[in-house]
Amino acid sequence: MNSAIELLAPRYDIAWYPWAVQYFFMIALSYASLWLAAPALVFGKSSWLPTARLALLACLTTTLVAPVALLADLHQPLRFWHFYAYANGHSWMSVGSLILPLYVMGVIMLSWLAWRPALQANRRAPGLKGLLARWLSLGEAPTPRALLVLVGLATLALSTGIMLYTGAEVAIVKARPLWHTVWLPPMFVATGFIAAAGLILLLNRMAGERSTSVVGQMLKVMLGACLAAGLIAGSWFLDGINANVGSVAAALESVRGSPEWRNTALWGGLAGVALFGAVLYLLTRPAARRPALYAWAWVLGLVALHVGWMFRWVVLMDVQTVARHSAGFHHYGIPAGSSGILGIVGTFGLWLAAILLIDLFVPWRQARQGGRAADVAPAPASAASPDHAPEGAPHHG
Amino acid sequence: MDPIRRSLLGQLARLSAGAAMVPLSSVASAGINQKPPRREGDPSKRYGMLIDLRQCIGCQACTVSCHIENAAPLGSFRTTVSQYEVAHQETGEVATFMLPRLCNHCENPACVPVCPVEATYQRQDGIVVVDSDRCVGCAYCVNACPYDARFINERTQTADKCTFCAHRLEAGLLPACVESCVGGARIIGDMRDPDSRISRMIAEHQDELMVLQPEKNTLPQVFYLGMDERFVTRPDAEPVALDVLDPHGKEMGYEFGH
Repeated sequence: MNSAIELLAPRYDIAWYPWAVQYFFMIALSYASLWLAAPALVFGKSSWLPTARLALLACLTTTLVAPVALLADLHQPLRFWHFYAYANGHSWMSVGSLILPLYVMGVIMLSWLAWRPALQANRRAPGLKGLLARWLSLGEAPTPRALLVLVGLATLALSTGIMLYTGAEVAIVKARPLWHTVWLPPMFVATGFIAAAGLILLLNRMAGERSTSVVGQMLKVMLGACLAAGLIAGSWFLDGINANVGSVAAALESVRGSPEWRNTALWGGLAGVALFGAVLYLLTRPAARRPALYAWAWVLGLVALHVGWMFRWVVLMDVQTVARHSAGFHHYGIPAGSSGILGIVGTFGLWLAAILLIDLFVPWRQARQGGRAADVAPAPASAASPDHAPEGAPHHG
Repeated sequence: MDPIRRSLLGQLARLSAGAAMVPLSSVASAGINQKPPRREGDPSKRYGMLIDLRQCIGCQACTVSCHIENAAPLGSFRTTVSQYEVAHQETGEVATFMLPRLCNHCENPACVPVCPVEATYQRQDGIVVVDSDRCVGCAYCVNACPYDARFINERTQTADKCTFCAHRLEAGLLPACVESCVGGARIIGDMRDPDSRISRMIAEHQDELMVLQPEKNTLPQVFYLGMDERFVTRPDAEPVALDVLDPHGKEMGYEFGH
């Protein structure tokens, strides 16, 4: 019916703003980095401790900032208490509103337990740092390892709830065929792990840790997550061309009908494949060349963060511009104000502030699986590991 | 693609690791996405609308009167009439097709179960309404409606939609759009009353009536008579309304693409 022309139809605005992208990005970084902190902090694998320290910093900061972005996406943020006063168990969003605070509390509790021995060791430090350490460490009693494991396991369980609800919330929307696929929730998780591994690579460089064991572990995680994402995307596509699934049909229609969507699909595909190729290249180099090459892994971290963020931008923002019941695509220009660019920059700014504040006042580099203040080495605890950069005190850059 | 290759590709898809997610999703959509019970309204009635497209001249009287009655902000519409220029596939003869749109007050509304605070609900007479004092403005319902029938009212910052002018129905009046329709194309009434005009027309035209996007399984209760089936789903039409901006980037109007 190309012989039809739409003469008159309203322009429909998007209903979810870039705040939603920020929330989905932050919360994905949060749950994925929690799982990357878990091997050492919950399951006691000491070779993962350097990774876990960076991952816990990433996890706590994103967990604190994500709900702010979520709240901002409400048009009536001050009515957030309605979620609890009038909860509707039929809605995934309502289910999420019950899981999210528990998860946030779990992450705060876990971080506190992991940082407490180091905080206790700092109790006699001069100035503000010592004052905060005395306040935050709540006494000098040792931190039971079992409690840390218990809180860790509970938080991991809650994090799967977050993975499930954030994915299902979007995937059940039949009105947007591009969202309505079972492959969307696992894809959110896979790209979340790609981005979180990238963030830890970046933090490893920015915080001056420069640990090659962290780089090696994160590259392996990224490789696995890239493979999973590729498998999920492939299954989605094969499922679609086999059974004419609405989601794939709508995607093909969008790609056919719009040069922007063609560019997006091409860019996404290329970025994913390039990332996978580069990670595979780094991992297969001979051991002697690795330290020199691994020093540049933070660049891949940036690419991985880009992939994770762009995936959410395309899914949540671009899909809303596909007209549902009229012809073509709606125009969306990112506004400059708080529902647009300012909101995006502001969320990242808040996140950076959270990282800096924790770095200033909390000895996150000495996070450990509970224990006593005496267990914490006076220098960075990771100095014991042979691959740690030999600088003494924590050093940036 | 030949059937053998198709089925092979299908098998490949099913073999892949993530296929285990499929049963999980069906459990989730069955369990959680049920509709909360209906409340308020007269349980002895079921309101519905029949739109006789043969009578619609696209004058937008309904659009304007709805706007005045319900004070929707400029640019947002509880009802409007989309217009299409359609060329006959053989003769090339051009005709205009009108498609009045409004909330379908579905029997199985997609917008109601998603509301996290039950601010939007279905009354016992079938009308889907929003409690704007409770709505948190999460816009989940706006995204969940396949018919673009909902929007966030920029003045109240809550979800807004057609209510079949429930306040007028309760006062014994017709909805503003029905009242003002020049051709008498919109017929509203109680579908539980066999003698109502809408019941009689539904019985008379049973086989010709169509609803929008029936494949979404929302069971719309706005029925179209004289509908072109190519417009039942998202129309495959050329969108031509392009924005015309002045040198400062402010919108001046529309123009056609060719």
